[in-house]
Amino acid sequence: MSVMNVVEHEELNRLLAQTSRGDQKAFSQLYDLTSPRLFGLCLRMLSDRQEAEEVMQETFVTVWQRSTTFDSAKASAMTWLATLVRNKSIDRLRQRQGALIDRNFELDAMVDEQPNPAMRAEQDHEYERLRQCLDELEPQQRRSVREAFFSGATYNELAARAKVPLGTMKSWIRRSLLQLRACLNT
Amino acid sequence: MNAHDDDDRNDLRYAEYALGILDADARAAVAREMIQSEAVAVAVALWQRRLAPLTNDIEPVPPPTRLWQRIRHVLKFDAPMQASRPSFWENLRLWHWIGIGASAIAVASITLMVTTPRREPHTVVGTTVMVSSIKQSNGVAGWTATMDLERKQIVVVPATPGATPQGHSTELWLIPEGQKPISVGVFTSNATTTLPLSPTLLSQLASTATLAVSIEPIGGSPTGQPTGPVIGQGAISGAPASHGHSNPTA
Repeated sequence: MSVMNVVEHEELNRLLAQTSRGDQKAFSQLYDLTSPRLFGLCLRMLSDRQEAEEVMQETFVTVWQRSTTFDSAKASAMTWLATLVRNKSIDRLRQRQGALIDRNFELDAMVDEQPNPAMRAEQDHEYERLRQCLDELEPQQRRSVREAFFSGATYNELAARAKVPLGTMKSWIRRSLLQLRACLNT
Repeated sequence: MNAHDDDDRNDLRYAEYALGILDADARAAVAREMIQSEAVAVAVALWQRRLAPLTNDIEPVPPPTRLWQRIRHVLKFDAPMQASRPSFWENLRLWHWIGIGASAIAVASITLMVTTPRREPHTVVGTTVMVSSIKQSNGVAGWTATMDLERKQIVVVPATPGATPQGHSTELWLIPEGQKPISVGVFTSNATTTLPLSPTLLSQLASTATLAVSIEPIGGSPTGQPTGPVIGQGAISGAPASHGHSNPTA
């Protein structure tokens, strides 16, 4: 668990901007700084090392070729990169045959991951706000949102894994998203 | 149902899209809206921004060093080597020629003779390739795609591509006969692009398969299936056969 602070975010934005001008050294630094986090994300979503490596390769090839389309006014470099990785991972999950319902997750037994308290002071503001808003959700709903984000599972898959009716899962997630929006917009 | 309810319901769909919980069809529907409407694209981006900080909770895992080497290799960063060994793939005149004459040579398996001066001036190595001339809807060849089965890569070279709409990417797809398209990757419409061929793609390369190009959001289709208009299609020629005779030094 390592939360990026504002300085690190700005450094990544700068490196991505330099990458878009064809700077191989900046690209290499960007890779060094972001690849462990992004690879962790791929592994978490795909549970398959080879596929995770393929997604990482596709992502960074795309980054090099498409970094000119990055607009730091719309998203931070890390958000841009993580969205690329998540979209490519979800693509792969949707192409897999059949639903992966073997990965049950126990809504009641799950322990919420908590950031290291010592790091909370310095960590980025957006992350802190999101955490606060997530904390306001019912535990089962919070865990469902997190599981959806990190597993890339569909409503059907998620309901099957959590052993709740599809309608229940849909209303949990939708209510949570609306609550998050209201909380984050205040 | 009033307009406010509609807005709310749509914003929920964009949230579900950003969360990644929609099935392939529902994802594709949102992705199409993103292409058609800047407002939708902005709404989705806003949700992505709201949720992205969650990635801070991921335990970082250093990727193997070979991954960076592969990325460098695909992007041809090893310039000194390139200088001493002019890459066959960079020979644009040949690409152009293939682009023009693809239909004429698209008859059988093609074995291209590649000289490799790095080893010996006259050493010849056979490389089995498959070729596809991707035609646009106006009938003009947009790109030539050449699949190198040994190097496990595909090279897309522009012939006469139309302009890509601002803020969009062109994505290449492999469509095995009677099956759903498989993404090959995003490529630069007006420049030579080399993409790796995954084992899945290699296993599906056949003369019964076709290639297609679609217009997608920046970075490629978010759904795993084409979401924008298909602007080019091409048959694949050249069978993936091994040729024992092609490499005299082997």
